[in-house]
Amino acid sequence: MFLAFKELKHAKLRYAMMTAIIVLIAWLVFILSGLGNGLSTLSAATLKNINAEYVVYEETAGATFAKSILSEDIMEDLKKQKDIEDVAAFGASTISVGKTTSKDADDKEDVALIGLEPDAFVMPTVIEGEKLSLSNKKGVVINDTLKKAGYKIGDKLHVSNSNLKVEVIGFVKGETFNHLPAMFAVPETWRSYQYAAPGSDNGLKKPVQAFFLKAPNLEPEKLDKSIDDIETVTKSKAVNGMPGYTAENGTIMMMLAFCIVISAFIIAVFFYVITMQKTQQFGVMKAIGASNGFIARAIVAQVAILSVVGILIGILLTYATALVFPEGMPFNLDPVLVTTYAIVLLIIALLSSIISVRQIVKIDPLTALGRVE
Amino acid sequence: MALLSLQNISKSYTEGSTTVQALKQASLEVAAGELVAIIGPSGSGKSTLLSIAGALLQPTEGTVTINGQDLGNLSPKKLASFRLHELGFILQTSNLIPYLNVLDQLLLVKKMDSRVTKADKAHAKQLLTELGLSDKFKKMPNELSGGERQRVAIARAFMNNSTVILADEPTASLDSKRAFEVVQLLAKEAKERQKAAIMVTHDERMLPLCDHVYRMEDGVLTKEA
Repeated sequence: MFLAFKELKHAKLRYAMMTAIIVLIAWLVFILSGLGNGLSTLSAATLKNINAEYVVYEETAGATFAKSILSEDIMEDLKKQKDIEDVAAFGASTISVGKTTSKDADDKEDVALIGLEPDAFVMPTVIEGEKLSLSNKKGVVINDTLKKAGYKIGDKLHVSNSNLKVEVIGFVKGETFNHLPAMFAVPETWRSYQYAAPGSDNGLKKPVQAFFLKAPNLEPEKLDKSIDDIETVTKSKAVNGMPGYTAENGTIMMMLAFCIVISAFIIAVFFYVITMQKTQQFGVMKAIGASNGFIARAIVAQVAILSVVGILIGILLTYATALVFPEGMPFNLDPVLVTTYAIVLLIIALLSSIISVRQIVKIDPLTALGRVE
Repeated sequence: MALLSLQNISKSYTEGSTTVQALKQASLEVAAGELVAIIGPSGSGKSTLLSIAGALLQPTEGTVTINGQDLGNLSPKKLASFRLHELGFILQTSNLIPYLNVLDQLLLVKKMDSRVTKADKAHAKQLLTELGLSDKFKKMPNELSGGERQRVAIARAFMNNSTVILADEPTASLDSKRAFEVVQLLAKEAKERQKAAIMVTHDERMLPLCDHVYRMEDGVLTKEA
């Protein structure tokens, strides 16, 4: 640490520039992680919030809600299974609502209409107003982000391209689905929109799209065999089946991976070049009697100091940037994720210093005498 | 008793298909308090001899004994630690660490081993004062003259109370007045501290300051005085 600090203080510009690079990379990594997290929340927050282990789809639906249609009658069969503790029917549609019948797009909001039984175990907690109830079939609870668009309790909403009308009776928090704020309604209301066209329900009685299962010990293959025409998948597979979810996540993860690999190379090359420049100096130290470890520790300490400082500044900048991002931007900094990426960056930086350490080991103290052979 | 003893040292390098005999049966002894000079033209094998005496190079034949320890018996790892404790190096110019001040240059030697104690600091300051650098403790190498830098290097070589001091052309870049001062100080410190010092040099003017002079020519070492 002695050598590391003294040298950092001596060559301020050189190491400040290096730190600046680490800051920029860390900043980019954290912003990407925030964006990725924000997007995936927007895409599937409702699904992720649900405390269920498995989701049952129609066998041919490929684990996507929109392609799946099942009769609610299956619910009774599911409930009879001994491994299943609870079952909730689920259906979702993308709709557009407005407070008036105006056709102007600015007066409407796109929302995800989700049909759930009021007493279903997957029903989110209402933070304001009343819960759904079967006695008021037109009542809906909506995500609180819609407050910003001017929606409040008691508002009567017209659903576009339908004669359905609903009334806001409560708010939930952090519920988004398919990148849209969620609007929860009783299944009957949802059905009256989704299957309004005659014959669109495939002749099924009380159609729904999927069932959520609370069943920690379930063996999904057995369940699929015991009931016809269903496919049971884990919740994480259901999340991945959300439209665009894997594509979005994959893009962000690829950028993150590139950033981290680039940072590893930049740090490795920078310190490698610096080590090469100081070959003579390290030779002198070795001639005097410095061990490889003594010199290597100085380099690793420098990498550690620069990385920690750079990453911390990167985190501060990220939180500062988050303040100026526009409100609606899907940006969600998760402290756990930020810490994880900070640690990953630090470990990568330290690993990349190994190349310089190897170089140090190779330096022959004879170089100190200047005129070997 | 000789602190440093080289017995029948030979060193040969293979260069392509030919073998170059850099040292031929060289023997040398340096007792405590002595400064010994090795002179000779470049390429004569002086530096090879110094590298072998400094445990930086293994001889092909012969034995090196420093303070009673036969270097042939030490592993490479032990050699680094041996150099740190038993050997002091004074090299040609620019062998100071550019980002350490004068006092830290000396304390670095202690840092390589363990922690710096108050006694170490006092010892470093005393050494620097003896070498006429009492007002330069906080100066950086680039703020010093060539002669001052070499004096810092001498102080550093004595910092660890090493038994043997090896100087490789310590006056190479100095004018004769400063060169004379530097060698004088080296001789004085070696005498006062009862260390064995060897200096490789081109500079015949420095020889009167040395206790013994050896001449090296084509790998053969002969005692002159």
